[in-house]
Amino acid sequence: MQIETNRFLGYPDRLSLPAGERISFHLSSSDDQAAVSIVRMRCADPDPRGPGLRYEVMNSAIDGIQPCRHQPIRPGSAVIVDDRGALAPGRQFSLGCYIWPTRLTPESQTIMSRFSAKDNAGYALAVSRDKGLTFTACSAAGAPVEFSLDIPLAERNWYWVAASFDEPSGQVTLAQVRLADGIMPETRVERRFEQKGAWRLDSLGPFVIAARATGHGGEMAHHFDGKIDSPRVAGQLFDQTALRAVEPAPRTGSTNADVLAFWDFSIGIDTLEVTDLSASRLNGRLHQLPRRAVTGVNWSGAVHDWRLSPKEYGAIHFHTDDLYDCGWDPDFSLDIPEDWRSGVYALRLRRPQEAGSSGAELTAESFVPFFVTPAPGRKRAKLVVIASTATYLAYANSALRLYHVHFQGLMEHLLQLTYDDIYLQEHPELGQSTYDSHIDQSGRCYSSWLRPILNIRPRANPFNLCTDTHFLDWLEEKGIEYDLITDIELDREGVRSVSPYRVVCTPSHPEYYSVGMMNALMAYQNQGGRHLSLGANGFYWRCAFHPAAPAALEVRRGMAGTRTWESQPGEVHLAGTGEPAALWRHSGFAPQKLVGAGFSAMINDRPGYFMRTPESSNPRVGFIVDGIEQGERIGDFGVRLGGAVGIEIDRFDLELGSPPHSIVVATSYGLGAGALPTPEEFRTMVHGLDGEHNALVRADMVFFETPNGGAVFTTGSISYMLSLSVGGYENNVSHMTKNVLTRFLSDEPFTMPD
Amino acid sequence: MDHTSDPQAVRFTFDASRVDLAREFRDKTDGHYSADLHRLLMRMRWGPTAGRYVLVVEEPGRLWKLGQLPQDRGQKVRVFDIEFTSLANAEWHVFKLRWQELAGAPLVMD
Repeated sequence: MQIETNRFLGYPDRLSLPAGERISFHLSSSDDQAAVSIVRMRCADPDPRGPGLRYEVMNSAIDGIQPCRHQPIRPGSAVIVDDRGALAPGRQFSLGCYIWPTRLTPESQTIMSRFSAKDNAGYALAVSRDKGLTFTACSAAGAPVEFSLDIPLAERNWYWVAASFDEPSGQVTLAQVRLADGIMPETRVERRFEQKGAWRLDSLGPFVIAARATGHGGEMAHHFDGKIDSPRVAGQLFDQTALRAVEPAPRTGSTNADVLAFWDFSIGIDTLEVTDLSASRLNGRLHQLPRRAVTGVNWSGAVHDWRLSPKEYGAIHFHTDDLYDCGWDPDFSLDIPEDWRSGVYALRLRRPQEAGSSGAELTAESFVPFFVTPAPGRKRAKLVVIASTATYLAYANSALRLYHVHFQGLMEHLLQLTYDDIYLQEHPELGQSTYDSHIDQSGRCYSSWLRPILNIRPRANPFNLCTDTHFLDWLEEKGIEYDLITDIELDREGVRSVSPYRVVCTPSHPEYYSVGMMNALMAYQNQGGRHLSLGANGFYWRCAFHPAAPAALEVRRGMAGTRTWESQPGEVHLAGTGEPAALWRHSGFAPQKLVGAGFSAMINDRPGYFMRTPESSNPRVGFIVDGIEQGERIGDFGVRLGGAVGIEIDRFDLELGSPPHSIVVATSYGLGAGALPTPEEFRTMVHGLDGEHNALVRADMVFFETPNGGAVFTTGSISYMLSLSVGGYENNVSHMTKNVLTRFLSDEPFTMPD
Repeated sequence: MDHTSDPQAVRFTFDASRVDLAREFRDKTDGHYSADLHRLLMRMRWGPTAGRYVLVVEEPGRLWKLGQLPQDRGQKVRVFDIEFTSLANAEWHVFKLRWQELAGAPLVMD
């Protein structure tokens, strides 16, 4: 029977936390009650061909029936300026800015407003596809009066737009100037309207850029899709040329008293604050994390790093579907007991009448995942698994199966949709992943955990977290003690987060790594730690959690790499940290330098398998291949796919930084035309790039020793973990993994060869 | 626009007389395929997402239904009352549907 997985939705305030600390859950449901419990995951992959869904139900203080209520999701970004009446207009005022619209619709999209739809009061400058620029003012009778140029706008062109309003005469002047671009000269449209009457222009609410308020409760509507640059408000009538040229403080000792506000978005690009350069100091704040560090109207193309010339990055790109924080009220909290083992946990939600049901009778069950790390001061295991939460976030609510032209061709099979995918299709307000595009077709740079995420839960599409739990399941099966932390701790605490451990394991796909994470692992390896890298396409994208919005991962898509969208020219540097957010390979820190192998290819037709190399007879790696013969197929089996070389694979490369004393222990076989290289692996397109012809399309198992007695072992394939449980956990992948882990856990140091 | 996101970026000419390719696919739906069959499959699998046939997972690894993607975000996925207990059967069923769309007539095999 199909289990309804989205009857209850929720998210935690913290994605990872130490045992002994408090976590809060923010939930929404059409039901008014839920039976809740906490589970510790062993395997989150329900596929009956593998271990199946396996978890332990914990005893916790929140067990039982808890009340629920519906809580809405309101996406859409904006700048909010609490002007406290300063921008309630006098008898005359003007406002203008540069815009670069990216999704013009028949409906009005707001550029600037001080408006209350509830009270029908205020004013708004807006655009729409057919009417072009529109100014709306509310009459004293409570009716919005709209003045429109009726000159259509074109998407992805820069415009100067302005309006002025003279209450005594009832005159409204609108100007819409399409800036010169390429062979197209500047075109200007300016028109004057007149409507005498009494007006109600004070909304009593905040001034909002890129949306308008629907009332006084913080709700907004009519969001704008596109860039806005240098918005300004003047307390006098300005013609559009003068308003365009106005400066709030032209030189030292000089201020322009007519300028009520002039927001310079190039200030504080790495913050959520917006600065007003006028004497009014009407600073604002970002709502729902629109994208900064985007090229402005005056971008010269001479710089690509906003830190070098912030004045050329004076725009913010707003989206109707930006979402950082659902802002739901918390429903309940839990103090995680100090003696709970670290691991992958989830809040389990069921209908009250099914609280104790077994799988067969269950009709609805949802999970809200979180990660518990060891309580400070507790005795640590020798092994720690580092959950790849940055990668989970990058893929959070992936709509690859729903929105993407190429994805079915890439997958080489019919796409399979879970009911979570179907829910996501029907509820785009949840926000999609950094693989997807906004509704205006610009790529998503941010993914936050302060929203329901459907695909890092048990029963999700089997990728990333679900795959990683195959290793946790194997550890439990083999009785190997382990701790679990996440890359959030690695990012924020650096090497200190892993120093207590003899061995760290990075699981199937640690693709998104910040500079803090990369340096922490390198330092750990160099201080004698042992790194078991059990996946592929790891350590690939340079990314960061936004320092001012720490629940959000920020990515940009540079000019190479496997990408589903590409950053606009000049927009590859992160807003939050300024780093170039391309591949680590293009920051001089290819994955090969860290773990000996780096991204080579994707495989979506049929997986392959490994066989030992001649070099594997070297006594230095005898402990790895002990019990595995030359010519023996390693991992010619696996859950779901059927092979340990699959999905994405990594290869050894001295030029990219694989340590020269590395030993390639095994390499892949059996790959075909569906094994395709990642774009940075070739500079010129030629025939013969696929796995049938191209020797670089391969997975390499790599071993090398590190200073101070450490070592690294890399498997080079995402699907490797899916082979662990086959044959009752007795197979050569399981055997080899145990070989390596046993030696890595031992006290005996490794010695780097001369 | 680039190849990854352009639904029109496909050029292979469909040849309804190549029933041999249908036969090859029926006998081995999960590849590896001959070069000509691979070209045909890419032709079938490219294009806009709207109307694309998909599988809806009823029971992981056990039971699937035929589905079809809608035009826009927010719209419902169409789920047909057609069930499959094997992925090979599902692939073959959709292959025949796509063949009929390209040929304008059902696939007829010996």
